[in-house]
Amino acid sequence: MPTIIDVQGLTKRYGNKEVVHSIDFEVQQGEILCILGPNGAGKSTTINIISGALSLDGGSVKYLGQNIFDDLMAYKSRLGIVPQDLALYEDLTAERNVLFFASLYGLKKAALTEACRFALEFTGLEDRAGDKVKTFSGGMKRRLNIACAIAHRPKLLIMDEPTVGIDPQSRNHILEGVKQLSRQGMTIIYTTHYMEEVEEVSTRIIIMDLGSIIAEGTKQSLKADIESERHYQISVEAPEAPDVSDLTLIKGVKAVQFADNLLDITTDRQIENLDQIISTLTAKAFRINDISAQTASLETVFLKMTGRSLRD
Amino acid sequence: MDLANLFTNLMWVVYALAFPFLMVLTLGFLTSGSYGDVITSYDYYGLTMMIYLITNVATYSANSFMEERIIKPNLRIVHSPVRPWLILFSKVAATFVFCSVTYIVAGVILHLVAGVNYGGDKTWALLLIMLLANFLFSALGVMVCTAFKQESSANQLISLLAALFAALGGLFFPVEGLGQAFVTLSWASPVKWIFVACLRIVYDGDLSVLLPTCAVLTLLSVITLLISIRLFKGEDYL
Repeated sequence: MPTIIDVQGLTKRYGNKEVVHSIDFEVQQGEILCILGPNGAGKSTTINIISGALSLDGGSVKYLGQNIFDDLMAYKSRLGIVPQDLALYEDLTAERNVLFFASLYGLKKAALTEACRFALEFTGLEDRAGDKVKTFSGGMKRRLNIACAIAHRPKLLIMDEPTVGIDPQSRNHILEGVKQLSRQGMTIIYTTHYMEEVEEVSTRIIIMDLGSIIAEGTKQSLKADIESERHYQISVEAPEAPDVSDLTLIKGVKAVQFADNLLDITTDRQIENLDQIISTLTAKAFRINDISAQTASLETVFLKMTGRSLRD
Repeated sequence: MDLANLFTNLMWVVYALAFPFLMVLTLGFLTSGSYGDVITSYDYYGLTMMIYLITNVATYSANSFMEERIIKPNLRIVHSPVRPWLILFSKVAATFVFCSVTYIVAGVILHLVAGVNYGGDKTWALLLIMLLANFLFSALGVMVCTAFKQESSANQLISLLAALFAALGGLFFPVEGLGQAFVTLSWASPVKWIFVACLRIVYDGDLSVLLPTCAVLTLLSVITLLISIRLFKGEDYL
């Protein structure tokens, strides 16, 4: 797939504070690139620069090989933006909103009407086209926020936390829509706090923290990076003087934590040693109630990379 | 869309229509004994209060620029392929049209109800000056917004400037009584120029002031718009 966006050495400062530190990445045509990161990671700053709305202090952003700031208006005409905040006129109808915002991209007459019909149908709002936005539920407003961004059929769609605070039904509708747009050839940059959304829609992931990219890859490759370890959680009834020190002597075991009758054992994934762990515990008069093996999720990847939960 | 925002804001519409009407009628009635029959108190306040309200037009442009209902959709406009000067001009134009329509309606009602003299066959000249002044203060409101980036701060400064211009311009009381220094200083207020020009057109039928007044108002409007374009940065609204 050709590279649609090429970011090199992107740096942004506010006063003396550098908030994005010389980051490099590419966006391939047709992919859904998810940018993950806690608050203050630099995600919004990065996508605001990529959208051409924010200046940069160093580096470059190229669209199909051309610096976006060389012909910013032409570049912006190929973009669709779904802002985190609902950017809608509440006192106008859904249709009037879509028509107005699509008209900013040069659409007129029949093309404008067709664009509006497509966007409202795509987001499942065609039945409410004539209703004022202020009468809509939160989920419907979110969908209209997307409709206003896709009516002109952009080549690149930037979605900044598009599902914040909505019901599961609307979220599913939006996620299905994102995948459908991607299948139609639209390139999508998607930021979110919801790991399950990344699991569902991403074709590639960038993890940012404190203004830098700390990991990049597909969800499979990111998980594989931390799957050299396995975590066993063993619920036990311990004897009067519990001693778990012998567990650390078992081949492959890297760490053992014991608290509230719960053993948390980190071990080398390549070494099968569960039978020895069970034998040792039995010999030490532990009674085993439950054993579970934790597999790597993007949440654990994120936690391991940043030391924080995504929603911290 | 900015125009629709102003016209769909019931409070603004009522304020723009009713405030001039009530203000002129109230002040005209209260001071009717102090004025003669040639220039009535309604004539005086029908003119001065209209000019004063035009200085307050800037608060409407601050509204059409940064009001809560509009600032989020503005974000989408900042991201769209619309040139920054067009965004600013749209705010100025919306305010100008809104205030022109409402104030003209208020003026017609005042003329019909209170017999306010707006110059008879020279009304067109008065209207031209009022419209250009309206445009200048619409642009001034937008310029203050681009400088301050916040509606509340912008509105505070605009109200202060409007009151200062109006006081210096002699709309509230004659500055001649405050000494020569104040009289000289009063010419620094564009309101003074507008007021004097309006008086000469309405009561002397003197059109010689029309061209210079229009030229100055146009020049000031252009300068104000250029400063706004210079100060406007879309990223300030992200």
